[in-house]
Amino acid sequence: MTASKLTVRPTAPAAAGSGRMAELALVERVRRGELGAFEELYRTHAGRLYSLACRMLGNPADAEDLLQEIFLAAHRKLDGFRGDAALGTWLYRLATNQILDHLRSRAARAGQLTDALDDTGTIADTASGRLGDRAVTKLDLERALAQLPEGCRAAFLLHDVEGLEHQEVAHVLGIAEGTSKSQVHKARLRLRALLTRGSSA
Amino acid sequence: MPCARYITSLQELADGTIGSIRRAEVEQHLETCEDCRAALADLEKIRDAAASLDELQPPERVWLQIAGRLRQEGRIQEAAAPAPPRRYLHAFALAAALVIAIGGSLLFIASRNRQVPATAPATATATPPTGVPDAAEVQAAATAVEEAQQKLEAAIGRLQQVADASLQAMDPKTAATLQKNIGIIDQAIAEERAAVKAEPMNVPARESLFEALKRKVVLLQDTIALMNEMRKGNPSGAAEIVGGKG
Ligand SMILES: [Zn+2]
Repeated sequence: MTASKLTVRPTAPAAAGSGRMAELALVERVRRGELGAFEELYRTHAGRLYSLACRMLGNPADAEDLLQEIFLAAHRKLDGFRGDAALGTWLYRLATNQILDHLRSRAARAGQLTDALDDTGTIADTASGRLGDRAVTKLDLERALAQLPEGCRAAFLLHDVEGLEHQEVAHVLGIAEGTSKSQVHKARLRLRALLTRGSSA
Repeated sequence: MPCARYITSLQELADGTIGSIRRAEVEQHLETCEDCRAALADLEKIRDAAASLDELQPPERVWLQIAGRLRQEGRIQEAAAPAPPRRYLHAFALAAALVIAIGGSLLFIASRNRQVPATAPATATATPPTGVPDAAEVQAAATAVEEAQQKLEAAIGRLQQVADASLQAMDPKTAATLQKNIGIIDQAIAEERAAVKAEPMNVPARESLFEALKRKVVLLQDTIALMNEMRKGNPSGAAEIVGGKG
């Protein structure tokens, strides 16, 4: 909840000139109530945000609902978009906040007392074999990802999949930079354990 | 398992964030420790796989629901949206009238052509005493059917144009499903038409052709209705129409 002012720049910076002007023109059309303009915005960004939501929540149905909420919130808040960040960055920030809020309220509903996102548990279950010559396919990785604990999964997704720096991950998740690092490291070791277990079966 | 004291360094090596002094030390260790070498290779493999994960695409219904909610909440300026074509309404009215006309005429021909069996106990069913079918009457009705059928096919042609335009604006998967159904009916129509051509006075053959044409009218109607539901941002209405088609 404290992570609303992040400065991350997850997408390539929009070309300062014509790209930014085109974005502002699009936003203006959305403000005037043009559904086609908002659809254009949706088509451009929905895939990336849906992927993040899907993997963070580990559940496509929840991700669909949340994606809907994200874009409805974006439509409401677009009035406050001043063009000081790229539209993609602005949306990404809004989306990660919504996803994290969702995860927190889900954890609260499930009665989990610890802050799942700040979970710094030990790496007890990572004793594993080696991948050796086995390739890690995308499907293998998607499956293993879904089995990670939420805390380290979020950090791993933001760092290794989305390409954010640890400092940015820390900012997004509202945790210390060192925690981000240890979460990502823990996630990789757990994934290694899951992948060696899965592929030997 | 990799050596506990090197785990973090191996991760940083995979990340490329390790300092140069530490790097030299770890690299030296790697020369002699197979476990750590294996662990580093695995970490790099996982890191690379993570970076190459594909973007997942949300199903089309998500957008339809968003558009529907925005309309519901009055946040869309309807004037900005393109008006749905209304010209097809006339074609549908014509098609509906012709469907009724052809159906009636076919029934007439069928009843006239049906020979009342002499042995049948005609008392219970009380067949109207129309007697022997009047050949001229039947021929006239058949001609009327022929004409009405041609008009119906022309109306279907106009509806098909509207439907084609609708399909282009539709989600490709939905469009493909509808297109496939239309293709199946077109195939049936072609076969029935060939049968009628071979035997113009064969009533069942004409009935079959007529049924196929009727099914096509219904399907085109559904296609265009679906497009309108999507324009109105009514995903449940749209889903109902597609769902009805299996
Ligand atoms: Zn070692």
